[in-house]
Amino acid sequence: MDGTAIEVSDLRKDYDGRPVLRGVDFSVAEGEIFGIAGRNGAGKTTTVEVVQGLRSFDSGTVRVLGLDPARSRSELRPLIGAQLQTSALPDRLRVGEALQLFAGLAGDVVDWRSLAAVWGLDGMLRQAFGTLSGGQRQRLFLALALVNRPRLVFLDELTQGLDPAARRGTWALIEQARDGGATVVLVTHDMDEAERLCDRVAVMSDGVVVAWGAPSELVGFGGPVAMRFSSSSASVLEGLERVPGVVEVRFDGRAAAVSGEPRSVVLVAAELARRGVEPDDFTVVRPTLEDSVVAMLDGGL
Amino acid sequence: MSRLALLEARLLARDWTVLVFAFVFPVFCMVVLAGVFGDQPDDGFGNVRPDDYYVVASLGVPVIALCLVGLPVSLASYRERGVLRRFEAFGVPAWRVVAAQALVTLGLVVVGAVLVLALASFTYGIPSVVYGWQTAVGAVVGVVCLLLLGVVIGLAVPSARAAQAVGLLAFFPLYLLGGGGPPRGVMTGPMADIASALPSPILAITDPWLGEHQFSGQLVALGVWAVAAFVAAVVFARRG
Repeated sequence: MDGTAIEVSDLRKDYDGRPVLRGVDFSVAEGEIFGIAGRNGAGKTTTVEVVQGLRSFDSGTVRVLGLDPARSRSELRPLIGAQLQTSALPDRLRVGEALQLFAGLAGDVVDWRSLAAVWGLDGMLRQAFGTLSGGQRQRLFLALALVNRPRLVFLDELTQGLDPAARRGTWALIEQARDGGATVVLVTHDMDEAERLCDRVAVMSDGVVVAWGAPSELVGFGGPVAMRFSSSSASVLEGLERVPGVVEVRFDGRAAAVSGEPRSVVLVAAELARRGVEPDDFTVVRPTLEDSVVAMLDGGL
Repeated sequence: MSRLALLEARLLARDWTVLVFAFVFPVFCMVVLAGVFGDQPDDGFGNVRPDDYYVVASLGVPVIALCLVGLPVSLASYRERGVLRRFEAFGVPAWRVVAAQALVTLGLVVVGAVLVLALASFTYGIPSVVYGWQTAVGAVVGVVCLLLLGVVIGLAVPSARAAQAVGLLAFFPLYLLGGGGPPRGVMTGPMADIASALPSPILAITDPWLGEHQFSGQLVALGVWAVAAFVAAVVFARRG
């Protein structure tokens, strides 16, 4: 392996003549949490199902851990774990039975009782799946996705419908999975989640990846960074528009508002300091990843 | 496969509706119908004792009930809720889960039939088998055909509720016209014709067991339905 867990190139797939994937390209490095974001119908779930070898594709190249998932699914299977977007367990199946069953199907490479303890499931082993809360179910699904000690884990809308506390708890579990050595592919609508968890994010729209990179790189698509600070006079703002990266300077009589590229923040602050202006309420508002993704998708990128 | 089958058996054991359908309903049918029609040989029953007829006929009731209602509901529920996809994502093909469910259904059918015979031995008595291995053939063909039909319903309908509706719609005519209700000898011509075209496991068992025929004419209908169901099952399975 060269450190690349997934390599997808010009992936295309039609459903009944309707193009769903229209040339998807991205790569995932080993050990990272990689997010796939986009609106409903963008092709996210189809992409990860193709990558897992659960769906066929029409053309393109897909390599997963050095294998072709379409031809080497049985070799790939023990190396990956998955939480599918729409899947459940029988309501009467108990937590302990589920762990025992899937651990057994995986060849008992992991002691399911230890796994239950690690993921905080040991207190509910006799509890039926149908009686679990949303957070408990996701905890179980995550444990099941890791029951074969996979090198690569796919999590599709894992935190959808969870309350904020359960969602944050699940984020910690995802990071725990990554820290345990797994590469994580996270499909999500939740940009807060992607920004908080992912090392890199691919944004999909209408069957193609329109942008991908670190969340900090992608936020640049969300518009300029805004800086605000109190000022009693417009004179201190004179010439700020010539600072590299500054787009606009405004003064409303009490406060100044400067907007510009991310790099302009330091330059504006330095210029103000040079002029002896040191406002104690200098604030910087950066666009969020959600702002950026919405801007990208609405902008038709 | 054995791991999956054991799991399915455990889950079914926690579902009291299935247990009632598998074990109580056939026994209830036997006790009531055999008691109602008595023990005097009757033309309508092919000159056998009605209680003998209903003891043997009741062996087919768990086959129809479990294969046409229990199995499809369970299978459709798995498809509807994504349980099959979860297994597939884990490298367990859907057909293995379906096969495990069919295997457990078969086990329940056998237990249900044993319960019928056990209770009959204390009440009405068990009639002797006239054509032994022919009866076994009828039972096997009947069970295989109904299992295939159950799988088709489970794969074809979109939800567990739809599977229950379709299963019950199939159950009642097959039970009532297929020998579980009035015997074929008392039916009107058109009803008897319809009955002979149905995939009835009851008649496939009662005919040779009670000596009406060595091989039930129902075997032809069962064979045709089984082939059609197998083809349909393959088509629906490929459709996903």
